[in-house]
Amino acid sequence: MSKKPATQPALHKVIMVGSGGVGKSALTLQFMYDEFVEDYEPTKADSYRKKILLDGEEVQIDILDTAGQEDYAAIRDNYFRSGEGFLCIFSITEDESFQATQDFREQILRVKNDENIPFLLVGNKCDLEDKRKVSYQEASDRAKQWGVTYVETSAKTREHVDKVNSIVCRWYC
Amino acid sequence: MDFESPDVMKDFPGLYASDLHKARCNDTDYSDSAEKVTKKDILIGKRKEKKDKKDKERGYAALEGESSAEESYEVRSPSKSKKSKSFKFPTKSKEKREKSREKEKEATDKKKDKDKKTERKIEKEKEKGKVDKKERKLKYEEWSDIADVLPIFGVSLKLAVERGRCHDGIDLPVPVRACIDYVEKCGLIFEGVYKVSAPKSKVTHLKKLYNQRENVDLSEYDVPTATSLLKLFLRDLAEPVFTAELLIRFEEAGAILNVAMREKHLKILVGNLPQYNRLLLSWIIVHLYNVTLNEKYNKMNAQSIALCLSSTLQTSHRLLTALLCHCPALFPNTILEPYVCPLTSSAQLPDDPELMERELLKQESLLAQIHAEMNIGFISKQREELLWEVQRIITQLKRKLKIANKDKEVVVEKPLEEKPIEEVLDNKIEDASACAVVQSDIEVTEPIAEDFEENKNFEMGDPAVDISANEANTSDTSSITSFDKNSVKETEKLEVDAQDTSLEAENLFLDKTLAILQCKNILLNDLKQSLFKQIEKEKAEILILKEQLPSKPLNSVPVYTDANCASLDEIMYLLHKENQILQIKKINLVRQIMEQQEACIDLQSNLDALLKNKSAA
Repeated sequence: MSKKPATQPALHKVIMVGSGGVGKSALTLQFMYDEFVEDYEPTKADSYRKKILLDGEEVQIDILDTAGQEDYAAIRDNYFRSGEGFLCIFSITEDESFQATQDFREQILRVKNDENIPFLLVGNKCDLEDKRKVSYQEASDRAKQWGVTYVETSAKTREHVDKVNSIVCRWYC
Repeated sequence: MDFESPDVMKDFPGLYASDLHKARCNDTDYSDSAEKVTKKDILIGKRKEKKDKKDKERGYAALEGESSAEESYEVRSPSKSKKSKSFKFPTKSKEKREKSREKEKEATDKKKDKDKKTERKIEKEKEKGKVDKKERKLKYEEWSDIADVLPIFGVSLKLAVERGRCHDGIDLPVPVRACIDYVEKCGLIFEGVYKVSAPKSKVTHLKKLYNQRENVDLSEYDVPTATSLLKLFLRDLAEPVFTAELLIRFEEAGAILNVAMREKHLKILVGNLPQYNRLLLSWIIVHLYNVTLNEKYNKMNAQSIALCLSSTLQTSHRLLTALLCHCPALFPNTILEPYVCPLTSSAQLPDDPELMERELLKQESLLAQIHAEMNIGFISKQREELLWEVQRIITQLKRKLKIANKDKEVVVEKPLEEKPIEEVLDNKIEDASACAVVQSDIEVTEPIAEDFEENKNFEMGDPAVDISANEANTSDTSSITSFDKNSVKETEKLEVDAQDTSLEAENLFLDKTLAILQCKNILLNDLKQSLFKQIEKEKAEILILKEQLPSKPLNSVPVYTDANCASLDEIMYLLHKENQILQIKKINLVRQIMEQQEACIDLQSNLDALLKNKSAA
């Protein structure tokens, strides 16, 4: 198949995981195009490539937006295997999605077999403070237990989206 | 009607000697038919046997063939999670053995290195004794690439299609499609196409590339290479294209002397083929037919093509010639559409929504295939890269399509506001009624055509009229749909007006052809009636003859002495030959008569139509 020339910039693969409807696609689209899409359309899988200039060095990041629904779990493993960093998203307004992060973490560790794989726990929809079901403390405790960072974001208001962005960049620089 | 085939009788004297065998088409007598099959198989099978032997010599790729896919399912799953371990000890692939190996390792760690080695050697030797096919396969799957585990060549057609899928919805294996595309494009005027073969090394190299799922550009090679590759693929198939089950019946049908009967039987058999086989056969025959159409340039007629490919297709020369001769009737809807591979990320994505849509389907098909291969266990860095790349293209296409669709909505909405709705409606009604007129015309003509087709005793006279009518229909409806979509655009409106006028002309033309067809229909119906009567008569005759035949007791076939037998056989043979020649002469005469009759009918119907027109005027 197509062989990439060696001169190409470093390429890293980041995967967004989390249950359905927590805002993985919304966050991804914020990363990529700075846009927020209101209407919900379940993702099967989508892949994007973004070039980032960091300290004069160009880094390419492939972002894979996966399906939250279990229907597509069969194809998820194929991606997990090649992932080099994972963003595990849940919605702070939905406790179930928070509980599901545990499963995702286990799945990833099972495929990658590496406790120190770059991993970020993201609580999305933090603009909906009045509907919050998962406390900040609860989430950050879990992150601490896993030895990862916890960030709360809002894909709608773009709050802390850049923070996530820079954390991801730091993984590879 | 001629069910018996002297040709077959000649080839297998005594095979159908008993009268009971007349009913062989029905295969009611199971033991009898089975016996026949074996007898025939002996003859047909010789070729196969040779081939099988070759396959075995060729090694694992051919041996594993069909089963490898399922087996790798079982095999891969345990080894997946043990990647690192299997890397250290690649020959040990079974979980159990790995465990024992671990234990052994713990034990041997304490010992000296030499001990370790000897112990391993002993174990290896033990294994060697035990090594059965399955274990060897395991090793192969761990060591080798997809070419050995999931080859496209040398497997059943179904697997070949699944593994080497064309992503545009036409379920042919990629190498077949590529070869046919290339020969259609560059090889039709190549002198001795399919006769001239390429160096074996070149062809096997190409086969390897295809098995490795490399992108191959046949235009870098030449026509003989492409034709040889196609032949190789067909020869390597685990089962003949005609399927082992139907092959004999195909042969029987191909041996029928009566042209119309032969066509009818072949058509039924083609319909009975499994979907993939039917598609592959249709493409090959239509393609070969195209080759023979260019005989002027390539010096290959149906006979020579059949000679070159009959052994490849594991059929007789006669069957292949028959298929080529009936090609237009057997595969009227097969269009050899060139295959365009799914785009790669370096290519520019299309801008036309329709093209985007089509590309999206292709990419999704490709993606599904990559996933399927990965799930079986074929995982490599390259494949993973490709997976992400294809996924990215899909995402881009979807995004582009979304934007395009949004733009379209905006474009459509705007002019709607500008123009009064009543006008739009008026236009639509006008056009719809015009369409209705055309359609009703066609409704009249179509049943006539069907009527002709049912009466398959002779070839259809004038399908062109029917086709032109259909074309008029489709072009008209398409104009309506486009009209619906953009009905308010000024330019479109003009176009529609133009089409209206052309429609009137078409209507006139249709009226004329309709009149001719109606006259012809009457005449042909008469002919049909008389033919039916004849058939009935012949059937009655057959019945009478059949009644006479069983009256001779079966067992009373006298036992001849050798000399007698030989002379009798000789006489039989001569009689058969004579009979055969007479049959052919008869068929030719009948054909000529039919042709003359048809010509007469054509002329008569034209005349009648003209007279009608005159009287009407």
